[in-house]
Amino acid sequence: MMGIALFKVALAVYLASAVVYGGSLWGRRVMPARFATGLMLAALVIHTSSFISRWFAEGMIPAIGLYDVLSFFAWVMAAAYLAMQLRTKTRVLGAFVSPVICAIMVIASVELGGKVGASAMLKGSLFTAHVMLSITGEALFAVASCAGIMYLLQDNLIRRKKEGSLIRLFPSLRDLDRINYLCLFWGFPLLTLGILAGSFWARIVWGSHWQWDSKQVWTLLAWGLYAFLLHQRLVIGWQGRKAARWSLMVFTALALLLIVGKLFFRTAHNFM
Amino acid sequence: MQLVLIGMNHKTAPLEIRERLQLSCGEVDRTLPELMRLTEIREAICLSTCNRVEVISRVTDSEQAVAGLKSFIYGQGNLDIAEMERCLYIYRDLEAVRHLFRVTSSLDSMVMGEPQILGQMKEAYRTAVDHRTTGVLLNRLSHHAFLVAKRVRTETGIAGNAVSVSYAAVELAKKIFGNLKGKSVLLIGAGEMSELAARHLLRQGVGRIHIANRTYSRAEEMAALFQGTPVAFDRFPEVLPEVDIVIASTGAPGYILTKEMVATALRRKRDRLLFLIDIAVPRDIDPAAGEIENVYLYNIDHLQDVVDANREVRKTEAMKAEEIIAEEVTAFEKWFNALAVVPTIVALRGKMEGIVRGEMERSARWLGGLDAEERLRIEWLVASIVNKILHDPITGLKEESREKDEFQYVAAVQRLFKL
Repeated sequence: MMGIALFKVALAVYLASAVVYGGSLWGRRVMPARFATGLMLAALVIHTSSFISRWFAEGMIPAIGLYDVLSFFAWVMAAAYLAMQLRTKTRVLGAFVSPVICAIMVIASVELGGKVGASAMLKGSLFTAHVMLSITGEALFAVASCAGIMYLLQDNLIRRKKEGSLIRLFPSLRDLDRINYLCLFWGFPLLTLGILAGSFWARIVWGSHWQWDSKQVWTLLAWGLYAFLLHQRLVIGWQGRKAARWSLMVFTALALLLIVGKLFFRTAHNFM
Repeated sequence: MQLVLIGMNHKTAPLEIRERLQLSCGEVDRTLPELMRLTEIREAICLSTCNRVEVISRVTDSEQAVAGLKSFIYGQGNLDIAEMERCLYIYRDLEAVRHLFRVTSSLDSMVMGEPQILGQMKEAYRTAVDHRTTGVLLNRLSHHAFLVAKRVRTETGIAGNAVSVSYAAVELAKKIFGNLKGKSVLLIGAGEMSELAARHLLRQGVGRIHIANRTYSRAEEMAALFQGTPVAFDRFPEVLPEVDIVIASTGAPGYILTKEMVATALRRKRDRLLFLIDIAVPRDIDPAAGEIENVYLYNIDHLQDVVDANREVRKTEAMKAEEIIAEEVTAFEKWFNALAVVPTIVALRGKMEGIVRGEMERSARWLGGLDAEERLRIEWLVASIVNKILHDPITGLKEESREKDEFQYVAAVQRLFKL
């Protein structure tokens, strides 16, 4: 149960980093945010080792069940955010990303450990690929939304021409837009591949690609909306405020629909 | 500590007097050796900028030295003594340390928090080192002052916020475009303000500058200055889709850049962010242009508000800086006190006694074979050898420092014996 212990430590360090990021916003200083970024990197390393130890313990990639899936979702968000820090200096963006990571980790910990080998049906590399790719895509969209929120706030601050210290603290519009775009650009093909893997797997196991399952409909809707967003960005040339606003709206709508679906519909995806 | 700082700055002396005091930057090479010829002066650094003249020196006799320094400065300026007297300030010992820390931290600057003074102080120190006019005290003091300046800059927000209109504009541009490298700029109107802003932008690596001006020759002139492109005044809307930042500063009575122009340009622009800066009075850019998505319009009042707010921030940050300086002055005093002759001798004796004790303990087993009296004799022998060895250095230290330069000997002893 090494993996569980490491998960708890990672959660604690993520929480610490979120608190320090909060302090950075509160004190209007970048310095704490740098420190918090370091903490998040540490948390990511611990989180990664938790994965690996769980992988070895279970003998398979842990990608089934609420706990593992959400934990992986948080892991991708942290990794994506930190990867962006290599290119752009948007330290304070962590103040928006880290609370989301913490929330997801807390929800994940409700079913701590979970059941990995839930059903023999769910084994197989195609299924694992389906889960990993889809989750990575969706986690990237979550990071895109965080960048989108921050973009809208910074845009508003600059437009209102009031308070200087927050404008200075927040990253530049260009960097935030770039992160939003990159997450969309990479998230979309990953989600597409994830859906394809899932449908091939469904064909093998269930005998058909499509079943009008509520989760399937939701996924298709998400895919369609993000395809639309990416199209608007690449072809129509959406940028800045409009792109940020839309990516935020799409993500919020999808998150709400996911919760509604989970509450009111039965789904073949109930292992997540 | 016999430190004397004498000088004048923009607050105490008008420009005419600072001008006539010919300690201008290039002449420090001449003034330093002259200063050192004054008998009371042991070490000296001479800082001379357009806003201040400061001579920091370690002296043997404070009163005589001040008189000597004063007459030296009068000699330089060729000025009325009474007038000069009013402009000069004199700080001694810890007050001098505090003043120097404040100067290098830019608390005493005309625009508080501007970083140039630190560079100027470093230059002055380097010159003094080249002329070998610094010693233990001023070396330490200078390095300490640089350290304090760095601490003040990183721990307070004193240098963080733009306090000029053109710099505030550059800061904002960075918050929109991130890096300004390769961005292009259009100046409409080639006035003094736009020239200043252009200089700031160029320093940030801006790529191309287009200049449109009613008098075309002036546009060409400025284009030559910034390696930019002159544009005929009525054709500036054509370059609009290529630029990221527009600075308007013409004397035109009405709006010369309308909302429609901006909207049209934006549609043709690949990269759809546009920063419009209107520093003209009356305004050049239709305020409605700022309503367009991804267009950010700032006029002179907006920028002035930013600057005013930043000035206030600097004032509160300055109070934090004063606290840091007070702390560091105490730290310097502590170092200085440890540099005195008596504590050095005490430390030297202490170290020797420690060694003796240690060695005796190591030989305790062997010494145990001897009877009490023999042991006492050995202890006495060792102690007297140590005393004989220390006698000359200690009396030497006392005498030399009474007659000449205590710091050098004390510092040497402290280093040699690792005290």
